[in-house]
Amino acid sequence: MEITLNVNGQEHKVDVEPRTLLVYALRENCGLKGAHVGCDSSSCGVCTVVLDGKIPVKSCTMFAVQAEGHEITTIEGLGGGANLHPLQKAFHEQHGLQCGYCTPAMIMSSYALLQHNPDPSEDDIRRGLSGNLCRCTGYMNIVKAVQQAAADMRQPAEAAD
Amino acid sequence: MSDQIKDLNPAKECRAMGKSIKRREDARFVQGRGTYVDDIELPKMLHMAIVHSPYAHALIKGIDTAEALKVPGVKAIITAKDLAGFNLDWIPTLAGDKQMVLATDRVMYQYQEVAAVFAETRAQAVDAAQLVEVDYEPLEVVADPFKAREDKVILRTDREKKTNHIFNWNVGDREATDKALAEAEVRVKQKAYYPRVHASPLEPCAIVADMNTATGRLTLYLTSQAPHAHRTVVSLVTGIPESNIRIVSPDIGGGFGNKVPVYPGYVCAAAGTIVLGVPVKWVATRTESMTTDSFARDFHMEAEIGATKEGKVTALKVTTVADHGAFDAAADPSKYPAGLFSICTGSYDFPTAFTEVDAYYTNKTPGGVAYRCSFRVTEASYMIERAMDTAARELNMDPAEFRFKNFIQKEQFPYNSPLGWTYDSGDYETTFKVALEKVGYEELRKEQAEKRAKGEIMGIGISTFTEIVGAGPSKDFDILGIKMFDGAEIRIHPTGSVIVRAGTKSQGQGHETTWAQIVAEELGLDVDKILVEEGDTDTAPYGLGTYASRSTPTAGGALALGARRIREKAKRIAAHLLEVSADDIEWEDYKFQIKGVPSKSVTTQDCAFAAYTNPAPGDEPGLETTYYYDPPNLTFPHGAYICVVDIDKSTGEVKVRRFVAIDDCGTIINPMIVEGQVHGGLAEGFAMAFMQEIVYDEEGNHLNTNYTDYLIPTAYEVPKFETGNTVTPSPHHPIGAKGVGESPTVGSPAAYVNAVIDALSPYGVSEIDMPISREKVFSKLRAAGVEAF
Amino acid sequence: MKLNYDGQEQINADYDAVWAFINNPEKVAKCLPDVEKLEITGDKSFTAHVKVGVGPVRGRFKFDVGLEPDAENNKMNVNLRGGGLGTAIDLTAGANIAQQQEQTQLDWQGEAVVRGPAATVGARVLDRKARELITHVFAEVKRNIDEEQA
Repeated sequence: MEITLNVNGQEHKVDVEPRTLLVYALRENCGLKGAHVGCDSSSCGVCTVVLDGKIPVKSCTMFAVQAEGHEITTIEGLGGGANLHPLQKAFHEQHGLQCGYCTPAMIMSSYALLQHNPDPSEDDIRRGLSGNLCRCTGYMNIVKAVQQAAADMRQPAEAAD
Repeated sequence: MSDQIKDLNPAKECRAMGKSIKRREDARFVQGRGTYVDDIELPKMLHMAIVHSPYAHALIKGIDTAEALKVPGVKAIITAKDLAGFNLDWIPTLAGDKQMVLATDRVMYQYQEVAAVFAETRAQAVDAAQLVEVDYEPLEVVADPFKAREDKVILRTDREKKTNHIFNWNVGDREATDKALAEAEVRVKQKAYYPRVHASPLEPCAIVADMNTATGRLTLYLTSQAPHAHRTVVSLVTGIPESNIRIVSPDIGGGFGNKVPVYPGYVCAAAGTIVLGVPVKWVATRTESMTTDSFARDFHMEAEIGATKEGKVTALKVTTVADHGAFDAAADPSKYPAGLFSICTGSYDFPTAFTEVDAYYTNKTPGGVAYRCSFRVTEASYMIERAMDTAARELNMDPAEFRFKNFIQKEQFPYNSPLGWTYDSGDYETTFKVALEKVGYEELRKEQAEKRAKGEIMGIGISTFTEIVGAGPSKDFDILGIKMFDGAEIRIHPTGSVIVRAGTKSQGQGHETTWAQIVAEELGLDVDKILVEEGDTDTAPYGLGTYASRSTPTAGGALALGARRIREKAKRIAAHLLEVSADDIEWEDYKFQIKGVPSKSVTTQDCAFAAYTNPAPGDEPGLETTYYYDPPNLTFPHGAYICVVDIDKSTGEVKVRRFVAIDDCGTIINPMIVEGQVHGGLAEGFAMAFMQEIVYDEEGNHLNTNYTDYLIPTAYEVPKFETGNTVTPSPHHPIGAKGVGESPTVGSPAAYVNAVIDALSPYGVSEIDMPISREKVFSKLRAAGVEAF
Repeated sequence: MKLNYDGQEQINADYDAVWAFINNPEKVAKCLPDVEKLEITGDKSFTAHVKVGVGPVRGRFKFDVGLEPDAENNKMNVNLRGGGLGTAIDLTAGANIAQQQEQTQLDWQGEAVVRGPAATVGARVLDRKARELITHVFAEVKRNIDEEQA
């Protein structure tokens, strides 16, 4: 069936089966490989994308057809090249990634977390990211990266006050 | 962030070593633009799905693919019969055994691969796989190595020797050890089971196999930690000349030893592309990964320590029953069927020791990979660190004091262990003192005494481990006969930028940064101008790959020595440019200068340009080299870890309050990356100590086939870590580095477990096996009569 | 995973009627739920294709069923083996048959071993569903015999 997905502000007309999961539609139909697949049970979170600007969704728990009518943001829509998002910059600067497989999803979950809570405590961050597994970093530097990005993202607003 | 890291800036000047240079591989990953195997799509590519056995042990009476073949998009289904036509129904394992690719007349473990389906889409392949009908006749299941040992049911009917016993491997002086134990004033026995675990990189194993029928070239995009070794294996089993095989290991989403073996899925996909002439992709599902990837550990160990009343150790004996599953697919060097387990004397000066390992077949998934581990050193380290604590308790001695009494002393290096290793260097006392001071050991013991008086439960666990990594000297170490050296190629372009290629393969370790740092340091070049490429067998020099913390000890050495070889040639060019004899040139402050005349100097970059535009007379043009480094010995990193836990006596919950880890991995190339590696390893140690275990029932049913049941810790469970380093360089390594990736996984489990036992010891608890669940602690407390409230 | 069940049915028929019924593969097969296709493969055996839906495990299973009457001990043993979708089920059930005045009592117990995804993924829902199924079969035996008698 043909559906239209709004991904990163762009419309993608895609032909999917009713059972096609959003993550496969993004990867195989839209050509956006930043969301990964790591488990069969919605446990690992490496497929996380953001819905409607603030809802983190494991894109393997959702059918592509259910995503129609929503705005989907993937890592590719967050920033790139010289215009990295503060989270992307912070993950790099704080060494918040190693193999990189969980990284796009970890950043998207962090993004959603910061939409709800611009000044999270360490505990808030650890709870907020507890749907995303990482096997490389031990999470220490991921927490630091989110703290750095949160501070960076608050700054313009605070400066405007 | 540890103290070392704070003051370091990214190097724009030449000195690259020891700097926390931000990783150069990050840019693509934070933008979602890495390329993992599943990201690769080729024209006309088919997808493969595998049919797995629900039985752990059964005869196959028939396979009916008729219904499955009717599914739209299905192109072919292969079984062992089809593979036999290519002589691919069995393949050699890394341990010198053989294993079925697809089940022949029988299945040997649950979820074993039985057939492979090729279809146009992933979904079609999966749909069809479910319709393949297999007629099984169940056989008696042996899912326990102690049951296997009885040889009542022989599992490997294909083998000449009708026994489930695979090998007995022993090292040391059995008689002398038994005698020393018999004469010991104090004898302490310690049993420990290291559970079967799955390394679980988040990216499952995957392959895109592409046979170009026009050229006869087979390209395999593979989740491979050892692309060259895999190419050799593929050539040997398929008969395709190695020159016609190209393995590309692109970005790898974590390896941890899991991506060292050659798995049946890879062989099926390769067979598929060879038969069908179009590319085939297979990406393991998590369930497939959990059930068919090589497991790790599964060692039933028993140690006995002899000691004097004063607490000086006199002998160590360790015996082990190892469960290897249905085929002996342990990933160990040929001469070492139980890997480097004989490092089990650890950091302690045992005058005599003996160890033996007996391995058995069972109806379980084959394996025995070194999960973030250098070939069974994890099991050995866990055993000795547990036993040392138990011995200290038995002697009524503080476990720290007991360790100080028995450390191998700094002056004893190079130290010959009673089990045959020559430890390169170490300073156990200093490292341990740094850790004790950082954690505030004395105060913690006081606090513990006060808490105990109030009925509160707190524990302190110590692990002062020694690692053995960097396989290896080729005289002792090979895999399937291939010597375990490693290669590096350095090519300096005319304008002074560089491409570096190595036979290793980063899976998150940051080689694109650290390899560049080594070369930059040796040649006085800018890190940013050095591109590092790994994983393509067409271009990278031969090497055995990245696992067992061997990359820095082997390829790191090749890079440094390769760079020095280039420097020798550059020196001749410098002499030519400065119009003096090469003997008059010295390498000073990252430049070639006329001896004692800093104003008369040229850089490596100048020499590179001259190498292509104005070569030295009699010299070949160009400036490049390939260096194969065969290390003279292994390296022996060590560390001192201290864990502090509080236990909730109502629920049995263990809270890790603090974890101090002081590592000594020799020279540090990039402190930020070393710290990151330590964090990750400590988290995986935590995972094994408290959460991860593969469980089978007695029917051989795999009971936790995905992450809802096989528990991986999240940011919320993993404790915070306090890290630090001491630096005792390796005397034989070109830059003194020893390797670090695995130390924390090797050293930390014992610290966690010792802390829990230390906490529970007032209640008579001396045993608890990993993973330490709340339930286990709860039961121990209740059994000891501790009131919940 | 191993599952154990037992139960009892009072059938409004005499021993001989019950014995005849449970020795007839065609009649026994009809007591299985959701049978889509049935092949009688012998005088004491049949193959049933059954539609199954247990949690995430949905599709068609094929079962080979064998009846093993033990007249001396007034007992009927049933062996069932089969599965589908990568799941295997082995079930052995036994029923003791005893006439009590007008009625015949069927005391049954069964042990099922389930292997594969159904056992792991579906363990949480499987036990209840299996109990429902096996209870249903014996209830159907009673209902059908009662109907024959009526």
